Amino acid sequence: MPRGGFEEVVLPHLDAAFNYARWLTRSDADAEDVVQDAAVRALRFFSSLRNDDARAWLFTIVRNTWYARFAKVGRADQPAVFDDMKDDRPDEQLDPEALAIQQQAVERMRRAIEGLPVDFREVIILRELEGLSYKEIAAVIRAPIGTVMSRLARGRERLLAILECEPASGGAR
Amino acid sequence: MNCSDVGRVIDAYGDGELEAAEAAGVRAHLESCPICRQRVADRESLARLIRRIPYYQAPDRLRVAVAAARRPARISPRVLAWAATVALAVSLGSATAIRVVEARRRADATAAVAQEVVASHVRALMGAHLFDVRSTDQHTVKPWFLDKLNFSPPVDDLAPIGFPLVGGRLDYFAGRPVAALVYQRRQHPINVFVWPASDTREAPADTREIRGFQVQHWTRGGMAFWAVSDLNRTELDQFVRALAP
Repeated sequence: MPRGGFEEVVLPHLDAAFNYARWLTRSDADAEDVVQDAAVRALRFFSSLRNDDARAWLFTIVRNTWYARFAKVGRADQPAVFDDMKDDRPDEQLDPEALAIQQQAVERMRRAIEGLPVDFREVIILRELEGLSYKEIAAVIRAPIGTVMSRLARGRERLLAILECEPASGGAR
Repeated sequence: MNCSDVGRVIDAYGDGELEAAEAAGVRAHLESCPICRQRVADRESLARLIRRIPYYQAPDRLRVAVAAARRPARISPRVLAWAATVALAVSLGSATAIRVVEARRRADATAAVAQEVVASHVRALMGAHLFDVRSTDQHTVKPWFLDKLNFSPPVDDLAPIGFPLVGGRLDYFAGRPVAALVYQRRQHPINVFVWPASDTREAPADTREIRGFQVQHWTRGGMAFWAVSDLNRTELDQFVRALAP
């Protein structure tokens, strides 16, 4: 049993859960549904949480919920729907032009990741945005560590290739 | 190590996932190989760019829904308190004990209403049925209730202090229609439920917290008021002070 109640242990990771679900589903509405279902499951299995890493545990539940809901019916890899640019947090030291270029680059990167197959997409998010170790990622996605490593490598290769061949000005698809 | 050896582990190297000996081997190769150095640098700048991507944040609606799904206590503290009171009444068998029981019963009734208030607040947010009448004008909202209720809830304009009215709806508690007024502070809706009080003595606001929601209750001008929100205590206090001067 974890120390503390569901509120203290799980709710602080709701943003992380939503962010992961949003990257899995590429839709705000679907991500909300997935996290809401996942929270109900998390409540039910809360007593089975053994270690202190509630975040990775919650990711696992989010992923299972997403998989049960979407992956089986073949919607998991539907074409990406791009919404408007979210609130970027740019460097304050940059002048307006450099800032605009940086925002463009970030937005291009967001779209590039969104366009990756979900197998690559999720390991990149868990590694770069959540800072999970290979071992933790392997537990979340239920795959060997070697698979995590090769998916990360291939995902990054693709992103680097996309960045290289896309001119800096035209980020739209 | 040659370039192709390094290529196989270059990601694990950058991610700090290599054993010390293997990492040392990569470092040694990098010193003599500008091409592999460039590959490492490319991955580092890729990682920096990815980390600038804004985090998708859970919407408030989801926060409310998840908070509402929390597990209720196994044995309610209220049941335990009741048992203690009844035991006290039996042992004393006096008028005092009866008054204690009576006060306890009233407190429990109030606590039950508070639970209903929170449940209704959550239902309204989850079902997205927050309004029957959507208006920021008190002179639109107040008359709207006229032919639907046999009382007229006071409707205030608190926009000047940062709590704009956003609308109203009919709600039902214990089979009785009540007025629900919706105010807002930033992204946080505040539900104010109003109905004729059964105990019309004026009562100042009492505050409680239920499942992360702030709930305040007061009686004024023969009306019972309940305000509920996920706002913090300080801001809801400010709101209630303005509403119940």
